[in-house]
Formats: sequence, C-alpha cells, structure tokens
Amino acid sequence: MRAPDGPPVTAGDVLLSIDNVSLSFGGVKAVSGVSFDIRKGEIRAIIGPNGAGKTSMLNIINGFYHPQEGVITFKGEARARMRPHDAADGGIARTFQNVALFRGMTALDNIMAGRTLKMRRNMFWQMLRIGPALAEEVEHRHRVEEIIDFLKIQEIRRTPVSRLPYGLQKRVELGRALAMEPELLLLDEPMAGMNIEEKEDMSRFILDVNDHYGTTIALIEHDMGVVMDLSDRVVVLDHGIKIADGTPNEVKSNQAVIDAYLGVAH
Amino acid sequence: MFYRETGQFKTSYAADMQIFPIRQDRIALWVLLAVAFIGIPLLNAFHIWPFGNEYMLRAILIPFLILSLAAIGLNILTGYCGQLSLGSGAFMAIGAYSAYKFGTGVHIPFGLFDLSIPPLPMLPSILLGALMSAVVGILFGIPSLRIKGLYLAVATLAAQFFFDWVFIRVKWFTNYNSSGSVSAPDLNFFGFVVNAPIERYLLCLIFVAIFALLAKNLVRGNIGRQWMATRDMDIAAELMGIRPLYAKLSAFAISSFIMGVAGALWAFVYLGAWEPLAFSIDRSFQILFMVIIGGLGSILGSFLGAAFILVLPILLDQVPHALGVPISVETVSLLVFIVTGALICWLLIVEPRGFARLWSTGKEKLRLWPYPY
Repeated sequence: MRAPDGPPVTAGDVLLSIDNVSLSFGGVKAVSGVSFDIRKGEIRAIIGPNGAGKTSMLNIINGFYHPQEGVITFKGEARARMRPHDAADGGIARTFQNVALFRGMTALDNIMAGRTLKMRRNMFWQMLRIGPALAEEVEHRHRVEEIIDFLKIQEIRRTPVSRLPYGLQKRVELGRALAMEPELLLLDEPMAGMNIEEKEDMSRFILDVNDHYGTTIALIEHDMGVVMDLSDRVVVLDHGIKIADGTPNEVKSNQAVIDAYLGVAH
Repeated sequence: MFYRETGQFKTSYAADMQIFPIRQDRIALWVLLAVAFIGIPLLNAFHIWPFGNEYMLRAILIPFLILSLAAIGLNILTGYCGQLSLGSGAFMAIGAYSAYKFGTGVHIPFGLFDLSIPPLPMLPSILLGALMSAVVGILFGIPSLRIKGLYLAVATLAAQFFFDWVFIRVKWFTNYNSSGSVSAPDLNFFGFVVNAPIERYLLCLIFVAIFALLAKNLVRGNIGRQWMATRDMDIAAELMGIRPLYAKLSAFAISSFIMGVAGALWAFVYLGAWEPLAFSIDRSFQILFMVIIGGLGSILGSFLGAAFILVLPILLDQVPHALGVPISVETVSLLVFIVTGALICWLLIVEPRGFARLWSTGKEKLRLWPYPY
C-alpha cells in the first residue's frame, strides 16, 4: 500500500488515529483494544510501566508490526498493513530506545542517510557524480548542515558515531530523524540514561523541533517530570490496555494511573 | 610536518565533499597516477630497473591491478553492504566466459529457431560479460533478503561450486574445445591490438582507474550510504525508508559487474589461455582475504590488501636467494606459506580493521607530528 498523500492536515486536526488496535505475539497480548489519536502540532506522550506496550505501539504506528485487529488512520487514510518504507515515505520518522545509529558511518553520513527518500538521482548519475548528481548531493548537504547547526553538533560531524558519547549519539539520532523532514516524529525514550544537563538539552531540542519545524511528536518517556513539562496530552498504557488519556494534570490525578505506577494494596 | 591542512579552507560543500579534501593527498594522488601512467612506461621503454624487464609487469603489476579490481568488487558487497560472499571466483568466471562467448560469437541452437550473435569487438564483449555476471549476481543475491552472515556465505558458495561445474561440463562455453581450456581472442580495442606486456599493463591500469573512481563515487553517494546503513543496522535503515531489496540487490549487481570485468581481464589479459581451475574456490578465498586484510569498507584498502596478498609471497620468495642462503625451491615455497600465514594472523590481531585503518591512523598521527596531540 502506498503512503497516503491526502490533503494537508492543519494544526489541531487529527493527524493519526488509532482505533481499537490489538497486537499479540502468539499467546502474549502486547496491545489490546487501544484507541487514541495524535493531533497535528502537539507533543503527545505515551507512558506506562515496563512492558505496558509502549514500544509496540510505536512499532505499530510506523508499520514494523502489523496489528491483528483495529484500524490506523494517518492523514485521513486508513491502512491495514503498511511497510516501514511506506510509513517513512508518508512522513513518519523515529528514534530508538537503544541507539540505532549506523555505527560505521560518521555523524554527517548518518544524517545524510536520513535524506535517502528525498534524493532522486539514480545510480548512474551517482556513479558519475557530475552536474545534477553533484548539485543534488550539495543541496542535501546544505539541508543537513542546517540540522547540524540546529542541534549544535558541528564539531563532531566527521567523527564516526561509534566514538561519540551516548548523549551525542542520541542527538545525532534525532538529527537523522529530522533529516527526513517528518510530519510525525516518534521518539522512543529520548532521555533514557542521560544526566540532568543532557535531559535539559534534549528537552529543549524537542520543544524547538515542535516549535520551529511544526513537527508533531509522539514520545515515550519514563521521566515523569519531563513528560509533564513537555507534553500537551498524555496517554497511559498498562499491560497493553489504555488506562488514561488527557492533559498531564488530568493524568497525574487519575487513580488508575497512580495504582498502575505505585501498585494497589490487596 | 609537511602534512598539514592548516589554512586550507573550503568555501563550498562541493569542495568539502571531494575524495581527497587535503591538498597534500591530492598532490600525492597525481604523482602516483603520473608514475603509473607515464613513469612506468618510460622506465620500461628505456629498460631501466625495476620495470625494464617483463617479469615485473607480467608477474606483479598486471595481476596486482586485476585482483585489486576484483577486491573493489567484493568490498562493495562485503565491506560496504555487509553481505558475506564466497562466490567471487564464480562471478569472475562468468565475466570471463561470457566475454569469451561474446568475443567469439554466440550461437544457441534452439530446436526451432537459432539465436546467433556475430563475434563482438573486445570492449563490448567485456562489458556484456560483466553484465551477465551482474545478472547472475542478482539471482544469487536473492537469498540475502532472508539469510545473513555465514548462512549467506554458504549460499554464495553454491554459486561457486555450481559455476565451477558448469564451465567444466557444459562444452558450449568452451566452444567444444576437447581439452576444456580456452584461449582469449585478440585484444583488439578500436583497431589497436594490445599485445606487449606494457600495453597490457596500461590497459588494466585504465580499467582499474576508471572503475575505482566510479566505485568511490558510488560508495560516497546516496546508494553507498544505503549500503552502509543496511550493513550497520538493517532494521533502522528499513524504518528510514531504505528498501532492503534494492540496497542488497544493487550491491550484488554492482559488485558482480566489477568482478566480471576483473574476471574477463584476468582471463584475457593476464592468463591469455585458461581453464576453469583459474576461477576456483581458491580465487574466492584469495579475494576475500585481500578485502579483510586491506580493510572492509575501503576502496584504498582493496589495493593495499591485493598488494599484500599477492606481492608479499613473491618478495619472500626472493629473500633467501638474495641473501645467498642455500635452501631448495620447495622449502622456500613452503616457508613462504608459513610466513605469510603468520603475518596475516599477526596483522589481524594488531589491527583487525586492516591496512586501511592503519593508514588512516597513520595520517591522523602525521597531521600532529611531532607533537603527541
């Protein structure tokens, strides 16, 4: 199935909606009957205890897992099965819980790789690397340098990413996702394992991305302070079931959420 | 001290993205090319050591160039795209035999209609032969969509054994020659017949220079980044919109094409007359070792690896003789095996990423020399 090329979605409208989606691996139900939506231009947090099905949810959204039941509507078009490639083509980018950079490549090449879908010249032009092929390469380098400036990673652009410290790797990974110019950016624990300064930097980048590029963001995060400060709306999953959905304040005072995180006296 | 990039500022991204951004490297490259294209033919013409005799050209430079080309081909597949292959010999053989068939005329006797292609000139034969190799490469690359690593290596091994068998048993490929060996047609390029060793050397040099440049352009362009992304983290690559099918099969196609050209040159230019044994599993291993020792994911490494694997035994062979040690020829050749093997082990322990990594570490050190940092 091709990526939806529907009419542009304006701010505040629903960009992606998930209706009654269930996913199971054999006998294990990862996600059961979850429905929520993501509106254009918002920062939407998905939280929940370990094993709640958060990452499975992201994998469903970008087509890596195919749910057994339910409908996913992206930009007004419902889809049953979608290949990851089509999701990427449609404007969904993501980062990973464990950094999934291309370890043998430099930071610059990693981010350039994010522009793959935007590059049109075929192999024969690339082989000659003259005229239009070189112009295309230069044009995309230009865009990538803008992202490098935005994320303030100028001095490491030539460094192989395997040599970078963890915090910078996370930043390069964000850059690689931004290079795709996504409409919907999925961040899987962008701040896991960071110290407080790195978390503050990353929070600022997330807010800037949302503000500057108008990118809709769905993020999974365990640091409740970050989630409550950054997100416009929060959906809470527990054992694959949605237990709460609303603004950070509503969710914070929800009894089911408190029970899920703190446990209930039996 | 002389290797400094201070003061070399780039004002455009095009200048920043050239193959050798440092001026000293560019000068070194031009000097090397001048020596290869002008210096060596001049030395040869005036019979000046070491390039005055045929031996140096025939036994060292020509095989070095051709095997470097094959190593570049395998490096694209294994080094850049991460698909382990043991079928290099087969792809070279397909290039060689297809070029031979195109060069001597293709005649396929189907029962009802005959397909006949008259003998083609040399250059189209070689390129069409390489194209055949690319097609077969794509076919044998299809398993790579499902299997990885050593399992894929075993699948490519099937290509090796299958084509070894085909070129021995199917007489059509050898034009029904009773001995099974084949002689290359005249190396006629646009009316100029390449014959003398120095002409053969220059022919190989032209092919290698052109294909090395094209390969370098590919690996630093979009498709090269797709290959490396597939190699390093295939799931992330797929989620970014890189199609594994396209990335892997294009690597197989390009790699087999280059190996096909190398195979045709090996057969036509270096051997002249050959048997299927010339492209046996030994050849596949030899090229794989070149790529591993030279450096996976490096065009320069392909040359360094080819030089090491090919030239070192020849040099070692000369050592006892030059020192005047009375050892029999058989003992020397056995010693060469032992010493080469030991050197390979030592090298891989000291620098598992091969010569290319040694080279780049050396350059980093040189930039700062004589200061430690």
